[in-house]
Parts: sequence; C-alpha cells; structure tokens
Amino acid sequence: MSKLAVVSSATVLGVEGRAVRVEVHVGQGLPAFTIVGLPDAACREARDRVRAAIATSGLSWPLQRITVNLAPSSLRKVGGGLDLAIAIGVLVADDKVGAAAVTGMGFVGELGLDGTVQPVAGTVPLVDALDADVVVVARDSAEEARLVDRHVVRPVSTLTELVKALKGEEPWPEHPRPASPPGPPPVPDLTDVRGQPVARHALELAAAGGHNLLFVGPPGAGKTMLAQRLPGILPPLTPEEALLTTRVHSAAGLIRPGFGLVAAPPFRAPHHSSSMVSLVGGGTATMRPGELSLAAGGVLFLDELGEFQPSALDALRQPIEEGCVRVSRARATITLPARFLLVAAMNPCPCGQGGPGECTCTDTARLRYRRRLSAPLLDRFDLRVDVARPDVDELLRGRGGEPSATVRERVLAARARAAARGVTSNARLPAERLETEAPLTPGALTMIETSLRQGRLSARGLARIRRVALTVADLAGLEGPLRAEEIGQALALRQDPMPLDRAVA
Amino acid sequence: MSPPSLPGAAWLTALAGLPKMGPARLLAISLVYEPAEAWQAVATGQVLRRPELVERMGPSPQVVAEGWQRAAARVDVEATWADHADISVAARGDAAYPAALVDDLEPPAVVFTRGAPVLDGTPRVAVVGTRRCTRYGFDVAGELGRELAAAGMQVVSGLALGIDGAAHQGALDAAAAPPVAVVGSGVDVVYPQRHRRLWEQIAAAGSILSECPLGTPPEAWRFPARNRIIAALADAVVVVESAGSGGSMYTVEEALARDRPVLAVPGSVQSRASAGTNKLLAEGAGVVRDANDVLAAMGLPQRPRRRARKDAAPRAGPAGAVLRALRAGPGTLDSLTSATGLALGPLSVAVAELEAAGWVSRHGLWLERTKPAR
Ligand SMILES: [Zn+2]
Repeated sequence: MSKLAVVSSATVLGVEGRAVRVEVHVGQGLPAFTIVGLPDAACREARDRVRAAIATSGLSWPLQRITVNLAPSSLRKVGGGLDLAIAIGVLVADDKVGAAAVTGMGFVGELGLDGTVQPVAGTVPLVDALDADVVVVARDSAEEARLVDRHVVRPVSTLTELVKALKGEEPWPEHPRPASPPGPPPVPDLTDVRGQPVARHALELAAAGGHNLLFVGPPGAGKTMLAQRLPGILPPLTPEEALLTTRVHSAAGLIRPGFGLVAAPPFRAPHHSSSMVSLVGGGTATMRPGELSLAAGGVLFLDELGEFQPSALDALRQPIEEGCVRVSRARATITLPARFLLVAAMNPCPCGQGGPGECTCTDTARLRYRRRLSAPLLDRFDLRVDVARPDVDELLRGRGGEPSATVRERVLAARARAAARGVTSNARLPAERLETEAPLTPGALTMIETSLRQGRLSARGLARIRRVALTVADLAGLEGPLRAEEIGQALALRQDPMPLDRAVA
Repeated sequence: MSPPSLPGAAWLTALAGLPKMGPARLLAISLVYEPAEAWQAVATGQVLRRPELVERMGPSPQVVAEGWQRAAARVDVEATWADHADISVAARGDAAYPAALVDDLEPPAVVFTRGAPVLDGTPRVAVVGTRRCTRYGFDVAGELGRELAAAGMQVVSGLALGIDGAAHQGALDAAAAPPVAVVGSGVDVVYPQRHRRLWEQIAAAGSILSECPLGTPPEAWRFPARNRIIAALADAVVVVESAGSGGSMYTVEEALARDRPVLAVPGSVQSRASAGTNKLLAEGAGVVRDANDVLAAMGLPQRPRRRARKDAAPRAGPAGAVLRALRAGPGTLDSLTSATGLALGPLSVAVAELEAAGWVSRHGLWLERTKPAR
C-alpha cells in the first residue's frame, strides 16, 4: 500500500516569505528517506533531525520508502523551518495522525534531535506567507507569529505535545503569554543637548525634510549623542511601515520577546569595521537582511565615515537613491528594503582640530583623509554641519534644550506640508517640480546667482539647496516664495567641510 | 677619465648629487681638496685617510665612503655638468656666487640659481612663517611682501605653502624689487606642486636658489639646511605666524646666530598660529605692524602710509555683528550664533553677503575675517 500526505509550511528569502507545500509519500520499496524540490544544505539535514525527533518522541519510524517533495519545485527552500511540516507529513502518511487533523493548518519550526520545537528566524514573513487558519510554531516564536494577526497561533514546545493535541488526546498546550510587554526602551531626548544650536537645527531639518546629514567635529563633541536623538523627532511609522520593519527585523532574527511590533523608527549604528555582508545583507542562504535594511524607516548612523571601506561607502549610493538594495548570490537576486535617513559623522582632519591655525596635520595627511570621502558621496549629504565641543559655560549654566516632543510637532507639521505636495518628504521632490513648489523671491535669486558666479554653489547643488530651503520654510510655517533667509541657511549648511584646495592658496 | 678642463663647479655639482652628501660634508671636502681632486678622493675612497673628514661622516664612515664610491662610479661628471647648462652654478669663490654667503658660518659649497642672480647691494628681508596659517597671517604676509618689495627690498622666502607663498605673491604683485626663493629641492623640482605657477613666476621675475643639483627630490632633512640660507641671505627676518615649533623657528635661530635682526607680527593670544611669534615678541623681537616697522628696524627711510580704505567694513546690523564676532579669531556657524545672538536665517544671509563682498573667507566649515582684495 502507499499513502500521500500534504502539509503547509513556508520558506523565507530576504524579507519575503513564500508558501511551501510539503508532500510526503510513503510507499513500498527498500527503506529510504529522500527530499526533493530544491532544498539547501540545512534543509537536506532535515532528514536526520526529523528521523531522530520522531524516534526520541516515542513514535515509530516507518520502515518504508519515504519521499518528500517540496513544492513549488522552482523555489529554493532554505533553513530548518520546514522540519515540523515534514515530520507531521511523515506521521500523517504513516497513519499515526489523521489527515483531517492537519487540514487548514500551517507548520513552521525546526526540530531538535530530542524532539523539541525550535524557533526560526523570519517567523513574521513565514507566518504571513501561510494561507491557513491555524499556525503551529515554536513556543518562543508565538508572540512574533501573532504580530501578523491573521491566524490562530498554536505554540508548542515538543513534537510529542503537538502530536497529542492533533490526535485529540490532550488539549492544545496553554503557554502563558508574557505579562505586559515592557515596551520599547526610551528614546534619548533632545532636551539633554545643551547649546549646539546649529547642530540641533540641522537634526530638525533632517527629520522634517528627509535630508541626509553629515556632522563634522572633533572627538568628544557629541556627534553620536546628537544622532541618537534623531529617531525621537521622526514621525512614527505607519502601520504598513511598522509591519515591513518588523518583517525585516524578524528575517534578521532580531525580534526581542516582549517588544511587539517594531513601531518606532529604528536606529542602527554599524561599526566602520563591519563587513559588506553585514551592511548590505545576503551572505546566508536565506539572504538575511543587513544593517542598511534594518535601518529602513529610521536612521542609519555611520560614525567615523572616513574609516569605512570604500566599497561599503559605494554600496550606500543605491539605497540612498532608490530606497532599496539589491543583493545577488549564485542563484538569485533579491531586493531588500533600505529607505533610511543617513546620518554620518567624521573628524575634520586626522588631528581632529580642523580650524585654521589649530590643525597640526601635514598637507599630505589632510589630503589623504579628505580623499576617503568621494565627491558623489559627499554630494548626497544635503546638510553638513560643524559640531564643536560644547561651551563649558553652556554646559554648566544648563538651560536644557527644547524637548524632542516639541520639535517633533514642528516636524510633523512640515511633513504634512510635504504630503500635500504628494511626497513623504521634500528630499524626494522631483527636480522638475521645484519651479512650481519652491519659487524664489528676487532676493533669493540674487543670492543664488552670486553664489554660482563665485563658485560657492554648483549647478548640481542647486536643486538640493532649494529642497532644504523649502524645508526651512515649512518648519517656520512660511508661505509664498523662498526668501534669501531660507536660501542663505540652506547654503550655509551645505559647505564642503574639507575643501581640497585651501582657500588661501 | 673626464677632461681636467671642467670648472670646479662641475665637480662640486657631481659631488653634491651623491647620497648622504649634506652641505656640511660637501663644504668640508671642498676645503680639503681642490674640486677635481675632491671628486677623485671621493670616487676612490681616499677621503677615509683624512681624519678631519672622517669625523664628519657619522658613526660609520666606512659605509658612507663606500656608498659614495659606488654612486660615483655610475656618474658621468661631464654629462651631469652639461645638464646644468641652463642654470647658473657657482662655487664659493666664483664671481656669480652670492656675496652675502661667501663669509657665512656655513656657506654652501656650490649654489644653483634659476632666474636672475641675487643682486649685490640690495637690502633683503626674509618673510617667513607657518604653512598652516590663518587668513590673518596670509593677508599680513601678502601685504608685507608687497610693501617691502615696493620699498625696494628683495623679499626672501622658502616657497612653502601658507605664509611663504603669500609673501612671494605679494612681492610679485608689487612688480618692484625681484623676489628670491630658497628651496630645499633641485630648482627644477617643484614642491609643493600647488605652487607650480608661483615657482615659474618667481623664476621669471626674480631668483630661485638651491644648494642641491637639478633633480634632487624634496627630502625632509634638507629644509632646515635651506632655512639657514634664507637667514644668511636676509638683512632682517620677519616671522608672520608660527606655532612655536617648526621651520620658521629654525630660521630664527639661524638669523640670531648671524646677528640678523628678528622681527615678528603680533597675533591673537588665542591663536595657536601666533603662539611662536607672540613668544618671540615677549622675548624682545621687534614688532612688525606694517612694512614701515621693518624699514625702521633696518635703519631705512619709511614710506608714506597709505590712506585708509574708502569702502570700510560694515559696522551696523547682522553683518557688523558677525565681523565683530570674528575679530577674536575664526568661527563656525555655531559659535557665531552664540556670539551674535542672531537666528540662523539672518546670520546666514549676513555671512553670504560678507563672503560675496570678500570680508569673510571660508576654510571648510570655518569662517575668517579678511580684507577684500583690491
Ligand atoms: Zn588636523
């Protein structure tokens, strides 16, 4: 006699889950166990894990010819998340579990040799891909699975537990939900920043207009402290954005129990020694997303920008322009989300002092340092701001700065004005619409003409200047054409921090 | 064997091109031997028999002498001499050798000059300072160069970036007394590259001097030696800006060793670029506010002071406030916001206007007060 069982599961690639139909055939022939349908190495090892788990759970292994087909066959299946579905398929085909009991159910989980059910990375996209009423997951994945909010989630800790529940011998295990989630950690507040008015203003402009920001200043000036306060003044994620961000973090295996949806804009600060793979993603069979994707919807902070590998800095260009990053591996090219706000920091020169008469670097050292920052990359920073060590008086006299909540009100109002123009932020306003959306007063026009003629502004920089000036006006609630004041600010905040030719020579 | 008809300068040129042949060693050799003999002695290793030379050849004279011998074996003295046909090469004692150097403490054994010979009987002033200068120092150096040249001084400097370059450029702009540059490389090896144009202009209008043969690269050890020639050529040395260590302080020491007056331009006590010059003033160096102070120190008649500029710097409004704030030294937008109390909008407009009119100049994110070019 021969028997066929069909069980639902899913696999993940990048941040997308795909439904997988697990077909198990048990028939006559020499005892064997084969898996077909593009399994990767981890997936092929399912044979050993499934066999061991069934044996240690006190269930008998059918001494027959067992063939597992993973459909659709064109889709590459990766990781151990299909273990649970394969085990259940074997048990159904061997008549240990009734076929009716698994109808309308999906299974996601890896099996330990001892029969425990282990969580897998990417539970959110995996569960989201399941077209089932009930999903069975590892106990530690339950909360993540419930974030999708479309299924009845049945958490199990062992295969035995699952089999008994399916056979109706015991009720589904009640795993207590963690008490009230502790909630996300508090976001640092701008009120801690004393003085540094220009850097604060630049943060506000960056948040309101989606403009990338470069802080230049000596060590200890508080560049990192400033950058960490940017997520706190960004608009909250929309429900769709929150689900996408959660999906990315889930695929990277970074969902922490008890925190629920990733609803706040993320802040990622990879170290300059990070590998390309950890920044861009890919590298694993599941094409796990990297830091650029984890920052999507929030802030990517690159401290010591000049220390990053040139190839890593090159890899930033596509996400900055297109909001996504494409990763290619032997068999597939996938697209990962990567729409982040870029904030970077660097010293003005190797000695860190930078100022005229203060810097003690040699010309060669300065030149070498400056060359690490390519012109195309520098061009993508609309805001370039000097951050000095805060004045001691300012620190002690201690009038705390404006709190983040107040600043965020203005940011939201400015974003609303951008939304009325049909864009999420001014940074994404197409150049051809600037003439109508950001007209200039005669005074502003004169200032631009003078700057162009004196070589202080390039034609390429002009569109970016106008977008920043528009954000300045939006934050101030101004109507009408842009004035010299707004253009002047945009110009003042977009100077080359380390011109290759010293102005004096 | 090269024909003995070659002049002494030819042998010295070949000797000066050998590795580890510094000015002191070359001078010592040229005092012991006649030039052609000197070449023989070096090429055959006989120099090791002269204790007064051996004592100048460092901890391992044997190695140095063998290095010379090996290098000399590959040198065609006659061809090297032919290569130097387009410039002036003068050995000590030749008529073309600068008179100011003949009786110096450490005279170069041979001097290579591109452009005109250094004038005898014309007063010379060295204007030197740091490469890392502020706009203030750059402007003062340019002004001094211009005014001193217009007063008939040959302005001497080292063609480095910063103060040196500004002083040379000022002297060129005056189109009066020819400028003199003393360099640490061959007179055909432009260094720094950014001064290529200035280099050519000085060669055309004045003189470029070196004690190194053509093709000598700019090695660090040659610059202090170069500074002694600047001090030796000048009747007075003016330091415009200096952080207190480095090349210009070496020039000061060399000037003091030669009894040349040392003068300095005062700067802000908060500016690191003026730390060295202010210290010189505190120790008794003459104060230089303009070219007349230099002329007075040299006992020369002063020039009528120029009348104050008509288009005075803005005093009122945001622009005036920005200029006042920058009087203390360079500033950034952040420091100017605090110092002026202005909002970023009006501040940016004021800065843009001042920059456009030339009252303020920019180094990256730093702003400095300056004077508009006339
Ligand atoms: Zn430096």
